[in-house]
Amino acid sequence: MKKTISFTLAAVLIASLLCGCSPKEKRFQATYLDLFDTVTVIAGYERDKDTFDSNAAMIYRELSVYNQLFDIYNNYDGISNIKTVNDNAGIAPVKVDEKIIDLLEFSKAAYDLTSGQVNVAMGSVLRIWHEAREYGAEHPESAYLPDKAALFEASKHTDIQNIVTDRSAGTVFLPDSSMSIDVGAVGKGYAAQAICSSLKSEGISGYTVSIGGNVCTLGKKPDGTQWSVGVSDPEDASSPLLTLGVSDLSVVTSGSYQRFYTVDGAKYHHIIDPDTLYPSSQWLSVTVISPDSSLADVLSTALFNMDENTGRELIESLPDTEAMWIDADGNTDFSSGFEDFILKD
Amino acid sequence: MNTKIFRKSDAILIAAVIVIAAACILIFKLSYSGSGDFALITVDGEEYAELPLSDDAELDIVSPCGINHLVIQSGEVYVSHADCPNQVCVNTGKISEEGELIVCLPHKVVITIESK
Repeated sequence: MKKTISFTLAAVLIASLLCGCSPKEKRFQATYLDLFDTVTVIAGYERDKDTFDSNAAMIYRELSVYNQLFDIYNNYDGISNIKTVNDNAGIAPVKVDEKIIDLLEFSKAAYDLTSGQVNVAMGSVLRIWHEAREYGAEHPESAYLPDKAALFEASKHTDIQNIVTDRSAGTVFLPDSSMSIDVGAVGKGYAAQAICSSLKSEGISGYTVSIGGNVCTLGKKPDGTQWSVGVSDPEDASSPLLTLGVSDLSVVTSGSYQRFYTVDGAKYHHIIDPDTLYPSSQWLSVTVISPDSSLADVLSTALFNMDENTGRELIESLPDTEAMWIDADGNTDFSSGFEDFILKD
Repeated sequence: MNTKIFRKSDAILIAAVIVIAAACILIFKLSYSGSGDFALITVDGEEYAELPLSDDAELDIVSPCGINHLVIQSGEVYVSHADCPNQVCVNTGKISEEGELIVCLPHKVVITIESK
């Protein structure tokens, strides 16, 4: 009897030791360069690589759907996307996936929320800057600034009310042949939000999805700690300016220091102020924290184009939303609750 | 009546449990490490090279769009120079931990730290 008890106890002890030995969740990561013309990083904690790889592949596939629908530079076989809509400006309505209509209606609301500082109808202006920037990157010696008159002429074709969506017919139409849609300011956040809320409803936790600095986080790490999301120092990319501790929140940064080109020694970046038609010059970077990635993406662009008072007023008017600004001299400023998220060393 | 409290078989059992426990701890510690073992370089999503962090090395990453010069020194990885327009890869500085990455978007180069 004693022998039985002691052997049973020993067996239980050994079994529990072995269970404690099995590796806990490990961090895995996957990187993609072909989504939204930027770097996408999916990170997640799983017990084994196969589970992570399969989840990452699923996330990649879903993001690819949005990438193709929102693309304004490429056509894809059998898919009518925003480029198709733009190519048919002044010609005919285009039947598109409902996701595009959802995005455009969201974008119209974003335009109203930000008093026009985020405007997806600015494609005609942005295209001029895009061409100059792409040329300037390839041919730095002959980089040029867009013609002012051309920018002004293009700005006459940027009325967001002229994007005609018909949800029941499933179509989008641009009656103005000189108008084009550019969702660069909202597309990444919108896609990230769609994917993250879908993953969340499936009960997935312990993952982060970063699309070009648009980060959404699902739950916490398996050990119960928050995710650490760094905010880059615009003037020294080698180490973060500060680190934020978040869970179930999105962190989105708009910055001028990575996507730019140089003309006569001066940098011209990619966030164009709708009022001046030139790259916004007040800020080096704006970071927004929000439970909603699509809202955070809209706000980071909007604040980048606004002076601090206007931007602060907007942020403080919205619940659960915080922001930080870094100006051209490297000074930082925070909305009322932003500093609560900063991790101290 | 055999009232020995502590028998030889008990001693063997206790010793066995301790050995198993020690082995488990050792296996666990070896299987989970935070710092990485090698730098993984991909170009346009395809594996280009794998270099151990333990050996100092230099390598030209040649992609259709240009060159990024990689350096491994004292367990840290960085791009010392590149012919891409904005030098984001160079400005990223040194990486050495899993999860860190250096990207050159125009050249479609990604450098990450991995462990076996």
